[in-house]
Amino acid sequence: MKLQVTTACMGHGRCYSLAPQLLESDDEGFVTIRGGDSIEIPDDQRELAVELAGTCPESAIIVTDA
Amino acid sequence: MEPGTISEVKGDEVTGCPVMHQDFSQTRNLGDYWALANELREGCPHFYNKYSGGGYWVFTRHEAVKDIYKTPEIFSSESITPWEPNPIYRFVPTQVDAPDHIKYRRILNPWFSPKAMEAAAPMMRELCRNFIEPLVAKGRCDFIEDFALLYPTAAFLNVIGVPVSYTEQFAEWVDMFFGGFGGDPEGAENMATALSEMRAFWTEQLATRRGKPHQEGDLFTYLLNSTFDDKPLDEEVLLDMCTVLTLAGLDTTRAELGYMFHHLAINPEDRQKLIDDPELAPLAVEETLRYYTIIFGDGRKVTRDIEFHGVQLQKGDMVYALVSGANRDPRHWERADEFVIDRKKNNHFGFASGPHRCLGMHLARREMAIAVQEWLSLIPDFELDSDVQLHERGGGAMMALERLPLRWELGS
Repeated sequence: MKLQVTTACMGHGRCYSLAPQLLESDDEGFVTIRGGDSIEIPDDQRELAVELAGTCPESAIIVTDA
Repeated sequence: MEPGTISEVKGDEVTGCPVMHQDFSQTRNLGDYWALANELREGCPHFYNKYSGGGYWVFTRHEAVKDIYKTPEIFSSESITPWEPNPIYRFVPTQVDAPDHIKYRRILNPWFSPKAMEAAAPMMRELCRNFIEPLVAKGRCDFIEDFALLYPTAAFLNVIGVPVSYTEQFAEWVDMFFGGFGGDPEGAENMATALSEMRAFWTEQLATRRGKPHQEGDLFTYLLNSTFDDKPLDEEVLLDMCTVLTLAGLDTTRAELGYMFHHLAINPEDRQKLIDDPELAPLAVEETLRYYTIIFGDGRKVTRDIEFHGVQLQKGDMVYALVSGANRDPRHWERADEFVIDRKKNNHFGFASGPHRCLGMHLARREMAIAVQEWLSLIPDFELDSDVQLHERGGGAMMALERLPLRWELGS
């Protein structure tokens, strides 16, 4: 599955705090893949991806099966 | 709350919307503001709150609060206090809208970023221990006065480059300011005094640094050397920025810490979970910000006529997004009315959302997580020191516990 972050990201930081192994922040606190590339989520981390989407107050995280 | 404060009578000018006459500046018993938020939310998705000389719309549920935050082009931050559409202060960038808002935020964001706060964490931890250690042997304290007012202030001053010796002076200004912010007329004079004294302080701080290059760790020389549209920031903007940073950075953290430690004092099983696993502290902090949000509501000014969630709003109307209602709305949350210490899907609005999300959130979280970890390592078992009724400052100015007496066994 794929995880994308739209430009709605406002830098709350809950996603990269919850999954530092998957996501990082830039110098202003926005997630580095904001409005850009998607990342592959391994099948065994499906639940984590759903949690990441659910932790964003901006609904900026989109998880798709691909 | 008092019975009958919500009227089912429809207002003449607000067809189909219940009218209420609530004063959110009053001090109430601990927990009453969240109970009121629950009652309002379950009573109706929106209210019109009338007071002498004016009124504003209150949206009580998660969906509407989310939409207010998501559409800043309709809901302007020109005023964030619906009972005062034209306040005597201007917070920059809090009360600035697009397109200028993001330019100010880009200046300030790096200073308060997660990476910057990570770097400041060892300093915060040391300060924190220095405040707790002298308390250990006393066996009791007032958590607010002896710790929560002091530690976040000292940590914040350190982060911006002001000597920690000013801690008590700042704590006093902030207290005076918020005495008037919630709309209580008796607090208005103190609020004005605190504002002018703070501005005099910042004017002096800026004057001694003008013309100097940026010094590491000093926010003022950083701001003096920053540009907005290729020009230096003007004096008024600099003062407005310093004022809001102070007010937002100090009082809020003490308030959240108060509620968090009250929860830990009366819920030993949650305390034990944090003692067993100190790494749980960040999640516990997020849940505190959801469940015990200190933002009763967040005000915005309507920029154009629009129908919004069934209400016809007009340009210039004030709205109040009831964050405390949204953060416990069962339409949105699983186990909405429970404190779930390891909640992960926690998209609460305790730091607001949208472009104005709290600038200092990464600082506040870090301060709180460190406070929990350090306190529990030195004072693992504690309880309320009194069964007297505890009170909270009115939600208009952000709720805050006034006192929190704690006691613990010596050598525990």
